[in-house]
Parts: sequence; structure tokens; C-alpha cells
Amino acid sequence: MENISFFKKKNSSLILFQKYMGKTIIYLILCAGLAFTLLPFLWMVFTSFKTSSEIIRTPPTFFPEKFTLQSYKTILTDPAVPLSKFYMNSIFVSGSRVLITLFTSSLAGYIFAKFRFPGKNLYFSLVLATLMIPFPVVMIPVYLILVKLHLINSLWGLIIPSMVDAFGIFLMRQFIESIPSEMLEAARIDGASEFYIYTRIVLPQLGSALAALGIFVFMGTWNDYLWPLIVITDNQKRTLPLLLTWYSSQHVSRYDLSMAASILVLLPVLIVYIIFQRSIVKGMTLTGFK
Amino acid sequence: MNSTAVINYPPADKKPNYKVKGGALRYQRRFATITITPIMIYMIFFALFPILMVVVMSFFDYTPIRQGSGFMGLGGDNPFIGFENYKNLLFSSNTAASIFRKAFVTTIIFTVLYVPLNLTVTLPLAILVESVHDKVKGLFRTIYFMPAISSTVVVGLIWGIIYAPQGGLLNLLMHGLGLPSRAWLTDPRAFVFGIPVPLIAIMIALLWQEFGYNLVIFISALQGIPQEFRDAARVDGANSWHEFWKITLPLLQPTLLLVCVLSVISTLQQFVIFQLLTHGGPNYETYNLVLDLYESAFRYQSMGWGAAISMVLFALTGIVTAVQFRLLRVKWEY
Repeated sequence: MENISFFKKKNSSLILFQKYMGKTIIYLILCAGLAFTLLPFLWMVFTSFKTSSEIIRTPPTFFPEKFTLQSYKTILTDPAVPLSKFYMNSIFVSGSRVLITLFTSSLAGYIFAKFRFPGKNLYFSLVLATLMIPFPVVMIPVYLILVKLHLINSLWGLIIPSMVDAFGIFLMRQFIESIPSEMLEAARIDGASEFYIYTRIVLPQLGSALAALGIFVFMGTWNDYLWPLIVITDNQKRTLPLLLTWYSSQHVSRYDLSMAASILVLLPVLIVYIIFQRSIVKGMTLTGFK
Repeated sequence: MNSTAVINYPPADKKPNYKVKGGALRYQRRFATITITPIMIYMIFFALFPILMVVVMSFFDYTPIRQGSGFMGLGGDNPFIGFENYKNLLFSSNTAASIFRKAFVTTIIFTVLYVPLNLTVTLPLAILVESVHDKVKGLFRTIYFMPAISSTVVVGLIWGIIYAPQGGLLNLLMHGLGLPSRAWLTDPRAFVFGIPVPLIAIMIALLWQEFGYNLVIFISALQGIPQEFRDAARVDGANSWHEFWKITLPLLQPTLLLVCVLSVISTLQQFVIFQLLTHGGPNYETYNLVLDLYESAFRYQSMGWGAAISMVLFALTGIVTAVQFRLLRVKWEY
């Protein structure tokens, strides 16, 4: 005992110094990380407030010399870019996909977790097999199917190919397995129908899992670019990512406009993120947590 | 009487005999079948059929411009050509094949460089974030994750303006340091250790967007390590360095492996950031597999050729997944 305290005393100032230095270095590194993360955002914001002449000046300026809201005004009053229309497109596609995927995933997950029926193993291996197929690999045939179904250049073409999510089924099955079967049995004895059990007993217990999966699907769809690029050609049916690339290609070297448009697209998502950040982080990194 | 009841009772270790158990189970089974069947038919139609279709199409010289005679326009004017597409991918000296091979090599190089870069940034950063006070920890995590919620298109546009030769942030910094401006994304002669500068520029933009994901996964894995382990190591006289190598890293190994595999798979499939920042240029230096797939199939409409490229991509991710399963099985044995 005495030995230890002696040992401590001898080094206490050194340890304190090391500890202090260590903390300082840690905070320095973390703040460098913050700078790396925030600088591009700041650059976006400042660029959007600059005048078009200031942007192409050499050497460039970091802070805008003269704050102007002109770029925002230009976008919001441009009749060729009815932003609300494109917002509605994105909300419609993402919202429908979330609702449909949550329904099919939880229902199929419930069946796989709690029922025995012929062909169950075969079906479940089908789900697991499709889990491993990356989307770009099947892009061509899915496109051809949509051509046959006359869904090209329609917002439904963004929804219909992905109404069932193998990962979602897998995830829901994991969660539903932990719901005690006795609870379902008890409801059955009381005469509840199977669908009633699904909606009133199973679904209410899946709250956090459904929220996480919903966020996962929503963000994936909201930010999706490759598939809409292939399916949508009509200007009026663009989703927000398509609108952004089109708009900036229309205004090459008008960085103020493309950055202001980016901010208008990003801001609502950012606000929602700040409010619900805990569950959004959890939902978006779902694949890593399984 | 009694004996029939005994015979009808299903043995405990076997599947229940639905017929004998009567109406209730049969009703349940019917509900399950009626519900699952449409979902499975959908999956066969939109997941199983497409993957089989890709395999079949890769053996055809197929383009939707020509009207084929057979199923899905295959056959007739879109003839069966056996392994011709694959042979050309590997050996042909025509432009498309050379571009594909370049894209393949670029994809591999990019993945091999990017994933270790991502992990060497995110894992130490996660440990540092975990080590600070709870109040600021949340703040750091929230901000670090901000790029990850931004659409890749926004990220591409922002970084396009950072790298812009005129009026770009990077050239502003270069100017501040008294260095000459550069065309970061378009200079075909700019190399660092044989790697094209535009490719490195894409790597950094992608790192900026993605590091939040792996960071958060690592943080949650770190929180799963019991404090007692670290305390025990401390009592034995370990310093932070030892603690990291002997306690944290071994316990984090399953997570590390999973994150590594997920990152490799997603990096192999990158498209948007390449398309927006360089469009594969200059000189196809930043042309990757999905970009080649997209351009071949949807711009040049050679979908048979595109299907063969898809198969290569599928094989690549398949190999990575197989390796993951193998390693994970070994890891979970102890």
C-alpha cells in the first residue's frame, strides 16, 4: 500500500503534465477534424452570398465582400425552377417508398419470425440471396422491365422496383423474433384475427426498429441520383438531386447560384437532422450495426 | 381410444403435423402463405429475375435499339455470342475494352487506397471522440456526421467549387501559401506517386462525405467494450498506447472487419462523386466501373456489354462478401 502511494507521489506532477498535454492534443486533433468538416459548408454558404463578379475574381475571396441575397432571389423567382414542385416529387417518392417498405418488411419479417409453412426455408434463402446483390449489377434488366411496364419517365418508376427490401425483411425478422410467442398465442385464444395481431400487437412493439429502417430508406431514396438519372427524363418529374445537377449545368461558373440552390435543398434536411440527430444517425448506420 | 390419441400426438423433435392439430394451425398457415406469396412473387420478379437476366444478357450482343426476336428482345438481331463479351473485356484491343480495363484497375486502386485511408482516419478519431467529456462528445459527433446526411450531389457540387481552378477554395489556400494555382480535377499530367491527382481529389471529397458513418459505428462499438477491461489493464500498468493495441483493437476486430467489408463493397460501387467531379476524366484517369457500366449501357446502349461489366462488378463484391463470411466464422469461434 505504502509502496503504491510513494510511486504515485513521485510521478504525480509528471502524470498531471502528461494528462494535460494529452487532453490538449486530443482537442487540437478533434478541432482540426471540425475545421475539415465545416470548411466546405462555410465555403458553400459564403459563395452563395457573393455577387457573380466577386466569384470569378483572382485571387478569390473567402468572406463575401458584399453580402447579397441576389442568388436566392434569382432561384426562387425563376419560373423554370418551381422548387416546391421538385420538393413534392422528392417527398412523394421517398415517402411512398418508406411507407411501402416498412409495411412489406414488417409483414414478411413477422411471417418469417413467427410462422411455419411449406417453402419457408426456400423463401428465406431467396431473401438472403437478394441481400447480396448490389443495385448497379441489376440496373440494366430492371430498366428493361420498367420499359415493358411503361414506367420510364414516371415517378412510379422510382418506387415500384424497390417496394420490398431484403435487408428490411431481415432486420424486422430479427426484431420480431424477440417478441414472446405467448403474447401472440394469448391474442389468438381471445379470438384475434392474424391481421389484427400484426397491426395491434406486433407493429406497436417495433417502434424504434421501424423508425430506424424508415430513416435508412428515406435518406437512401432522398439522396439517390443514379436511378432517377436513368429513369426520369421529363423536366417536371425531376427529383431534387437531378434538379441540382441540371441547374448547375445550366449556370456554369455561376457558383453563387448552384451553391444557393444546394443550400435550399440541404437546409430542410439539415434542420430535421439537428432535431432528430440521435435516431437519424442510428437509422443511417443501420447496416453497420446489424 | 387412448392408443389413437398417443399415435396422433406429434413427436416433440419433429415438425408439428398440421393436419392432425386441426383448424387453428391450418388457418395460421394459410394466413402466412397468402401474405408471403405476393411478396415473394415480387422478389422473384424484381430481384431474382433481373440477376438471372444479367447473366443471360452478358452472353448476347444486345442493344435495345435493335428489335430482337425472342424473349425480352434477345435473339434475332441481338444475337447470342457466347463468351465473346467476356473475351473482349479481357483481351480485345478496341476502345471500349481498353476503357473497361482501365476502369477496372482504377476501381481497384481507388478502393485499395481509399478504404485504409478511411479506416486510419475514422478509428483513431472515434477513440479520441470517445475519450472526451460527454457534453462535447455529442457536439463533435453531430457535426462530424453532417456531411453524411448531405446528398452526394450537394457534396459533389461543393467540392467541385473547392477544386475549381478559378475561384476555388483550394487555390485560394495555395495563393495564401504563395504557391501557384492548379487545375486539380483536369490536369492529365499531375501524378503523386503514380496516382492521378484528380483521383486523390475525389478520394478526399469522398472521405469528407463518408467518414461520419464509420466513425459512428466505431464509437458505438467502443461503447460496447466494458470499462473493467481498461481498468484492469491500467492496474497492470498499461499506458494508453498498450491499451489501444492490446485491449481496444482485439475487441474491436469483428466491427473492424465488418466496417472494412462494407466500405470495400460501397467503394466498389461509387458513381455520383466520380460523375460530378471529373466525369471520368481527364484521359479516363478517374473512370470507374459503375461509371463505365452506366455509360456503356445507358449512353451507348450496348446493354449486353454492360451486362458483362455488371457481372464483373458482381464477382468483385461476391469475392469480398465470401472473404468476409470466411473471416467472420473464424473470428467468432473463440
